[in-house]
Amino acid sequence: MKKLMSRILLGVGLLASAACTKIDNYDGPNASFEGRLIDAVTGQNFQTATGNIQVRLFQVSWSATPAPQEIPSKMDGTFKDSKLFAGKYKVIPVGGAFWPVLDTATVNIGSASKHDFELTPYLVIKNFTYVIENKTLKLNFDIDAPIGAGLPTIIEAQPYVNTTKMVGPGASIFNYSDALKLVINKDWLNMDPATKSIEFTIPDLTPGRTFYVRVGVRLNDSFKSSNLSQIVEVKVP
Amino acid sequence: MKRYKLIIAVLAGILVSCQKLDIKPTNVVTEDVVFGGEAGIDVYMANIYRKLPIEDFRYRPGGEGRGGMNLHHEWQNFFHAGATVGEMVGPFGGMDIGGGFGYWPYDDIRAVNYVIENLPKYPANFTGARVNELLGEAYFCRAFFYFSLVKRYGGVPIVSTVQNYPQQSVEELQVHRNKEEEVWTFIGEDLDKAYEMMVASSPRGRANKYVALALKSRAMLYAGSIAKYGSTNFVDGEARSAGLVGIPADKANSFFQKAWDAAKLFEGTKYKLYNKTPADKVKNYVDVFLDPSSEENILVRDYSMTTKTAHSWDATFSPGYMTVGPESRAYPTLEFVERWGKLPVLDGTDHPIKFNNLADLMNNSNLEPRLLATVYFPGATLRGKTFDTQRGLYETMFTGTVTQEVAKTLESRASITTSDPNTLHNGRRIIGEAGMKRPGASDNATRTGFFVRKYIDYNKAQPATGLFQSEQAWIEFRYAEVLLNRAEAAAELNNPDDALTCLNLLRERAGGPQLSLAAVNVNEVRNERCKELAFENHYYWDLKRWRISDVLLNNAKFTGLMPYYVISENKYIFMAERETFDRNYNFEKKYYYEPIPGGELGKNPNLYPNNPNY
Repeated sequence: MKKLMSRILLGVGLLASAACTKIDNYDGPNASFEGRLIDAVTGQNFQTATGNIQVRLFQVSWSATPAPQEIPSKMDGTFKDSKLFAGKYKVIPVGGAFWPVLDTATVNIGSASKHDFELTPYLVIKNFTYVIENKTLKLNFDIDAPIGAGLPTIIEAQPYVNTTKMVGPGASIFNYSDALKLVINKDWLNMDPATKSIEFTIPDLTPGRTFYVRVGVRLNDSFKSSNLSQIVEVKVP
Repeated sequence: MKRYKLIIAVLAGILVSCQKLDIKPTNVVTEDVVFGGEAGIDVYMANIYRKLPIEDFRYRPGGEGRGGMNLHHEWQNFFHAGATVGEMVGPFGGMDIGGGFGYWPYDDIRAVNYVIENLPKYPANFTGARVNELLGEAYFCRAFFYFSLVKRYGGVPIVSTVQNYPQQSVEELQVHRNKEEEVWTFIGEDLDKAYEMMVASSPRGRANKYVALALKSRAMLYAGSIAKYGSTNFVDGEARSAGLVGIPADKANSFFQKAWDAAKLFEGTKYKLYNKTPADKVKNYVDVFLDPSSEENILVRDYSMTTKTAHSWDATFSPGYMTVGPESRAYPTLEFVERWGKLPVLDGTDHPIKFNNLADLMNNSNLEPRLLATVYFPGATLRGKTFDTQRGLYETMFTGTVTQEVAKTLESRASITTSDPNTLHNGRRIIGEAGMKRPGASDNATRTGFFVRKYIDYNKAQPATGLFQSEQAWIEFRYAEVLLNRAEAAAELNNPDDALTCLNLLRERAGGPQLSLAAVNVNEVRNERCKELAFENHYYWDLKRWRISDVLLNNAKFTGLMPYYVISENKYIFMAERETFDRNYNFEKKYYYEPIPGGELGKNPNLYPNNPNY
């Protein structure tokens, strides 16, 4: 029995010593990449939301046909990923309501690499104001297009109301938000000035609660993304 | 001495035994057996037919991480593609099958290419024109596989010969994607060959020349709509600019014409709309899907319990008290039902019409027989039991309008409701056994007020409706679809007269009103298609090729028709409300094409670029 056990152990030992002759000598994902997404019209950070703008990376120093990876933008219009492999990447922001960035940037990502992107929004939401009276919230805003020609069709406008600051498409209360959609389905050049001023009335908000509110206008490009306003905090009396 | 004798005997045995060392393995079927005659090729083709991309009862487009075709142990038949796009609502969390399930049947295509390459070497083993007929069948099968690829991915590599490894190098085998248009054209050419080579009739379950034509009319119609609508609603990207996805718009009409021509060739053949019991149009339409001798069937797939291929449609689409177990999960939406027009449940002032019996809405509203044969309404019966669908009770009628009442949450209404059908209120059930259940309760009662009736075998006794006990055939191609393909192609080609003829044939059999020429347009043809081919796994693909999925499923929620009983008046009322799970359905534009499966991209870099936005 003893003999048998020692033979088994010898066999296992031999296999184990023969197995790992190559050591993984690649560096871990210790590089980081961050930056701002800048609205070219206002100079401020771009208004984003969950699942909106993604910074798409292709690691060209690893493979000629890299599988894309994406860094989602944060709510404040910045992005950061601190667990990337160091190397040369092609980088392009996609998914938001801005004119497509045609020339992809090539960035050598190492420790604390930074790159900002300037994006031209399809539409700018201006003069966004709100009035709360009893339980009814009124929102007013105007839309303007920095570049009108060739703008994708404007599908719809709608308010987004949520109980947290994370408010936007996909993160809102249906009855206060999607249910109040205003269908537009028009090209920018065919919209008369009156239709560029939009008012929403949101009735029956729960008294005593605080809501976070913004508005958005959705365009029919590849991503069907929305230009969003800033977020306002509304206390219902 | 004795020992020597034994040794000699053993040696002699050994010497004699190994005369033939070079024998063929008996567990591998070799080419001369497969192509040795009808029996061999039958067995070989049986395996190809088993793998044909028929999206039947057992087809599962995804959900909970599992998906695929020809899944023999799949019992959850309610994971139905229609339940992701609002034909039904079901077990899916929303429109969550856009990424596909990695379908990549090049092994099956190789099996077909093998027949095409090698069968002609054995003409002596077959009589008459059989070699040609069998080749025609192989071309049909190959076209079917490519059809199921191109509708998912757009352009894929066209492999039309048998590839061999290691005789061919890896680089040689890493094929490039063809343009989408090339693949659709290739499918059309294969089907033309299939049509030329095959005869007009075939054993049940196998292809003949008209099966090839039926697929051709479907495939060319798809290509036409992708050319026409995909050129205005698309996602930009490298694959699109290279023509790997998308077809130039000016090719639309030639594809539509091919679809129309193929469908037109059915005129004067043995195929016709099933109409054995014209006096009872509901029964007649129900039997279209159950009568094995239907003259409408062009290609069917059979199932049997003895070969362990039976499916579970009966078990998984009716409420538990009518079947063996409570397994239903997917329910037709009110949006689908109202493709036949608004149901008369409201008076002119937004107040509910009151009905004496639950079944009165179904019986007294002059509904089209085809609708009643497609969907079980509240009050209908199956196996002697009634669909007692009811969402709750009202002690007395509410005072406001239906719009006001529906806007309130269920809790804040004056209605009495519960999640357990066995809870009684003064001796009366509050909700029915068939539903409707409240969210959170287990999902085996209707969420919309309706149940699927199509393909439900009403002749089956209740104890025979368990899982893997349904044997009714899946009809992959039927003449009604050919008529709809023709009507749609005609409408697209600006030939409304021909579309009208086709639609009115269908309306006549369905028991619906005849259409006038003025009413015929592309939208009317599409609506008729959605009604006629409901729950047959067409709707998902039709919405996609019309490029309207992202419009219809724009963060959409679907509704049902909820029956309530008003105690003080002894009446039933119906209100349209959001289905009880209140799920959100959103279709991203990139889903018009599925991503090329990641594993394949890893093996073959020439499959890049991937489809736009993946």
